[in-house]
Amino acid sequence: MATATYRLGVDIGGTFTDIVLVDDGGGVFSKKVLSTPRDYSQAIEEGVASLLTELRIEPQAITEFVHATTVATNAIIERRGVRTALVTTKGFRDVLELGRFRSPRLYDLTFRKPEPLIPRDLRFEIAERVSATGDVLEAVSEAELAEVARAIGRRDVQAVAVTFINAYVNPVNELMAAEQLARLLPGVSVSASVRLLPQIGEYERTSTTVVNAYIRPVIERYVASLRARLARLRIAAPLMIMQSSGGIAPGAAIAERPIYIIESGPAAGVLGGQRVAERAGVTELIVFDMGGTTAKATIIEGGRFGLCPETEVGGGAALGNRMIRGSGFPVQVPTIDIAEVGAGGGSIASIDAAGGIQVGPRSAGAEPGPVCYDRGGTEPTVTDANLLLGYLNPGALVGGELALSFGKAKRAVQELADRLGIGEVDAAYGIHLIANATMLRALRGVSSEKGMDPSAFALFAIGGNGPVHAITLAEGAGMTRIVVPPVAGLFSALGMLFADVEHQLIAGFYRRVSAVTPEDFNAAAAPLVAEGEALLTSEGFVEAARRDIVVFADVKYVGQTSPLPIALTRFPAGDDTFAQIAAAFAAEHRKIFGYESPGEPLQFVSIKAQCRGVPLTPRMPEHMARRNERTAARAARQAYFGPQHGWQEAAIITRASLAEQAVAGPAIVEEYDTTTVIYPGWRARLDALNNICIVKD
Amino acid sequence: MEGTLKIDPVRRELLKNALVTISDNMLVMVVRTARSTNVKNTMDFSACICDDAGQLVAQGMAVPVHLGAMMPALKGCLDYFGNDIDEGDIIGSNDPYSGCSHLNDIFTFKPVFKDGKRIAFVGLILHHSDLGGRVAGGNAADSNEIFEEGLRIPPSKFREAGRDNRTLLRVIEWNTRIPERTIADLRAQMAALDQAEAELLKLLASWEAVAFRAYMADLMDYTERLARAGIAALPDGEVEFTEWNDDDGVHEGPIRIHLKLTKRGEHITCDFSGSPPQSGGAVHSIYVFTMSCAYAAVRTVLDPGIPNNAGLYRSIDVIAPEGSFVSARFPAAVGSRGQAGFRVRSIVLGALGKLTRGRIPACPGGSEFAIAASGHDAAGKRFLHLEFHNTTGNGGGPDADGQDAGPYCIGNLANVPVELIEAESPIRVDEYAFLPDTGGAAEHRGALGIVRQYRFLAPETVVQVRSDRFKSRPWGLFDGGDGAAATATLNPGTGDADALPSKFIRRFKQGDVFRAEMAGSGGYGDPLRRDPAAVQEDLRLGKVTEEHAREAYGVMVHPGTQDVDPAGTRRQRDVMRNRATHQGSGS
Repeated sequence: MATATYRLGVDIGGTFTDIVLVDDGGGVFSKKVLSTPRDYSQAIEEGVASLLTELRIEPQAITEFVHATTVATNAIIERRGVRTALVTTKGFRDVLELGRFRSPRLYDLTFRKPEPLIPRDLRFEIAERVSATGDVLEAVSEAELAEVARAIGRRDVQAVAVTFINAYVNPVNELMAAEQLARLLPGVSVSASVRLLPQIGEYERTSTTVVNAYIRPVIERYVASLRARLARLRIAAPLMIMQSSGGIAPGAAIAERPIYIIESGPAAGVLGGQRVAERAGVTELIVFDMGGTTAKATIIEGGRFGLCPETEVGGGAALGNRMIRGSGFPVQVPTIDIAEVGAGGGSIASIDAAGGIQVGPRSAGAEPGPVCYDRGGTEPTVTDANLLLGYLNPGALVGGELALSFGKAKRAVQELADRLGIGEVDAAYGIHLIANATMLRALRGVSSEKGMDPSAFALFAIGGNGPVHAITLAEGAGMTRIVVPPVAGLFSALGMLFADVEHQLIAGFYRRVSAVTPEDFNAAAAPLVAEGEALLTSEGFVEAARRDIVVFADVKYVGQTSPLPIALTRFPAGDDTFAQIAAAFAAEHRKIFGYESPGEPLQFVSIKAQCRGVPLTPRMPEHMARRNERTAARAARQAYFGPQHGWQEAAIITRASLAEQAVAGPAIVEEYDTTTVIYPGWRARLDALNNICIVKD
Repeated sequence: MEGTLKIDPVRRELLKNALVTISDNMLVMVVRTARSTNVKNTMDFSACICDDAGQLVAQGMAVPVHLGAMMPALKGCLDYFGNDIDEGDIIGSNDPYSGCSHLNDIFTFKPVFKDGKRIAFVGLILHHSDLGGRVAGGNAADSNEIFEEGLRIPPSKFREAGRDNRTLLRVIEWNTRIPERTIADLRAQMAALDQAEAELLKLLASWEAVAFRAYMADLMDYTERLARAGIAALPDGEVEFTEWNDDDGVHEGPIRIHLKLTKRGEHITCDFSGSPPQSGGAVHSIYVFTMSCAYAAVRTVLDPGIPNNAGLYRSIDVIAPEGSFVSARFPAAVGSRGQAGFRVRSIVLGALGKLTRGRIPACPGGSEFAIAASGHDAAGKRFLHLEFHNTTGNGGGPDADGQDAGPYCIGNLANVPVELIEAESPIRVDEYAFLPDTGGAAEHRGALGIVRQYRFLAPETVVQVRSDRFKSRPWGLFDGGDGAAATATLNPGTGDADALPSKFIRRFKQGDVFRAEMAGSGGYGDPLRRDPAAVQEDLRLGKVTEEHAREAYGVMVHPGTQDVDPAGTRRQRDVMRNRATHQGSGS
């Protein structure tokens, strides 16, 4: 290419918007600006404009714009969706509000689950019924539909969700009703549940459909507004958005199915981690992302991350235990399996009534923040402890934008230590370790809870605080290798640039395996594959070789609750395909549930097409290095490395200096967006991709 | 004791977290590997770690009615086996008269050894769907003796020195209607104990045995201090509370349960001495279950962060004389003890509400509805459908309405998806919905009752139902109304419609319909003080009718628009207040 081109990744969080720009040669530039919750696209426009001006880059040189956003989640938490109606089977209009009755907070008499997104008076019933075997017991009456449509029409409704009992077996009634309602209610977006989620479980299917219908117009507007801003910036690159499954999709596709971007930001970090690690030759790793209020962990096994079929949205509090359900609305779309706990740099340390020390779940958040931010915080936090231990620069974080008050942090921890009757250093180190104990729950949630030993994995540490805690956390989990990628503190914004275009298409196919032929299967799957081909072609993947479409059958034993997705080794299905599916299902079932039931009949539930656009050139540069980084002066400071090593003088170094030679701990790598603490007994070097690789001696 | 060892609060907190994680991991393992819907979907189980003397040190995300249940069950095993417990053993029981709960709950424990000495137990309790007995599911309310309820497993070794006790497992397999699922669930249960043992051993590698014992003891002491501080913060006093169960399924009711709750300083005593003697049927509680339910209720007024271990219970005494309705004596049947247990919980909450002068919401709704439907489908295949709808929502509280379908924080069973029921069993669900006008009328309304209507499609279905609250309604507080009573109807809306009792075992013909209307929750505060706008909102949502708005709340609306008529409302409320004053002056 004659002229330099650039790619932009933008990650919106509740407090900060991270902007990362990558040039052809792997040069990385970044900017962190305050988010603008009133209209998140405003901070993007201003931040991008100022970054481009600083770097004197022409907007036309931006060839790609990828975006991760919490807009969908926020629209639900803040109830900013549109007025939506539900049309369902007679007898079941309250399914959405009844939910599943699980309480995420035992012994708390004041707990309330979120109120349903559709109030009862906007939930309408139709006399219709399909049996569990797919027989139509009662057809939909057009007259009744027309009456419901009139009632909806009187209520200024902008979206309608249609969910009928047993539609996952036979969608004929539901689809007919949805079509009629769309015809009778022009200008209203009508969604049929089986189009989004042709799966058993009326509450989960209804919830998923309702969430989508409720936020769709909001996301449509957001995408339109963002596109307008990009146009104003004269950026012609298409707008791509990160999905919860780790793929990106054009804004237009996301506007139709916004439920696919609920875990947008975290997914970007995991996808980036998987790609960077793959290049570094690491296939077994746990991506660990620790920020100010939460920590997240995801396991990558054999170079692949797992997808789970469900997430919950709108619950507010972060949860570290997947036994706990019921705090939000279930949304069943493929979501990278991420365990999240409420522990971060802002987690507050306190003393309970019996003289015990607690860290979190209360957090000082971004406002007032830790005591050392000197913005009104008075209770010591994990970051204050890290500052006292010498892990963080006592003057200011290297970016220089945030001066830290060491004295105030010290006094706050001292006061806590006095009340505990222990030394100030022991208290600070205790706060650090107790935060780790909480975060270990997330690590174990993705590893040992699933029968895998964390010590066989490398810890891939990202987020502003991830590399600060990486070694002590690794010690706690018995892990011996750590990778800290470039731009670790803003890694999600970088990681999303490595994602491929991906569409997950789904169609119901609730049939006994023994009752269908490969031809039946192909007839049901072919339209999905054709849709995927057309979508990818329209997005520029014109050559057939650039369209990678894998067909999955969702299969379960008859009578079982959850199906497992089984990839077909080839499509169209042939004579041996069902045998291949049965064998793969048995193996997967054994792996996940610990047993198989040979001879028990199998049931297809749905067919999925995973459609990926294959990029022309690798999505990730050969080498990555941050440009324009202010480097810390070579220095050293005392830091505390636990009772075993005590206080030691740690060299303060830059990432670049690690290229010259491997460094043995104690040492501290200071960068713009994060700090990496290297303990005695650990050794760090830089690999070809500019990752800091730390191993235990 | 190792009195000289100085306890480091940081190390203790780390140990607490590690032990809870090991317990939680057992539950995750069970969900991953078990087979039955009741385990996987409803999550009716709990896990724990006890010290070598059987004192509870940590309990994971527990079903609240399992609080404190582990220690008596383990004690039952320890009493029998004494020192005859070795590495590689798994001991357990389901016998209510050896410290367990009801026959469906199998308690299992695995000892953990360090340096050749026993240092702890890991434990897991799991509700098994069927262990035989005269009615599938084991919940029949009208059994008279425990021998009718299923297989009674005395304290036994499920595994000895690493070898499964094949005889016992075969006895269990041959005594359940669903052998494949039951054995799979039992294997999942034992595998989870193995995992917990391995994890605990890994943790123990970095501990001196002496220090580990001292820290376990201190964790309980620390918890006791937290509990005492929480109790001390409540006002002192002695309060009484009385409630009723409709009947025991065999005799005429009602059964009056009485509690005297005394709070002095750092101590609470729940004295059920005023409760009637046991009479028959299977709805009465045994002591252990009464105790668990009382603990769960008391926990709601303590800091939710208090660890679950033996220290929590030391400052709470539960007195329930043996042979009474809340502490049945051998050989009473106890399969439906959930019934009495729910009443114990609501009574303790009611008493605490009195003690704290209104901090506790009114009685949660629901009729403790449990159904076991079994038979053979048209193809001759056996089915067993088991479902619990214990509560329907929450009572109105000091600050807010009881949330409709709000989960009950001291009972935590999920419902079963309608589509799953229909896919697994020849049953169709016609309706699952709120019942308007059923929430206790009050300034802060109680949650609505709920209807579940079943249609049985098999040639014949044996249905066993346990429910209550047909007569004794969920109580309101401070002039708030009671929740509506529960009802049960056979073939509603047809010529042969018939009212059914709260507890029955009955054969349903193909196409028969059973309608269960579960009770609403109690309300809090005078309904005439409810904001008319809130009544109007309920009206708009179809949660109350115009008639109920007028009769229960004195709120008049303009016909058609349903807008509140302020003048009419004032007049109606005045009339109602006068009526109440006149009625009240007589008593």
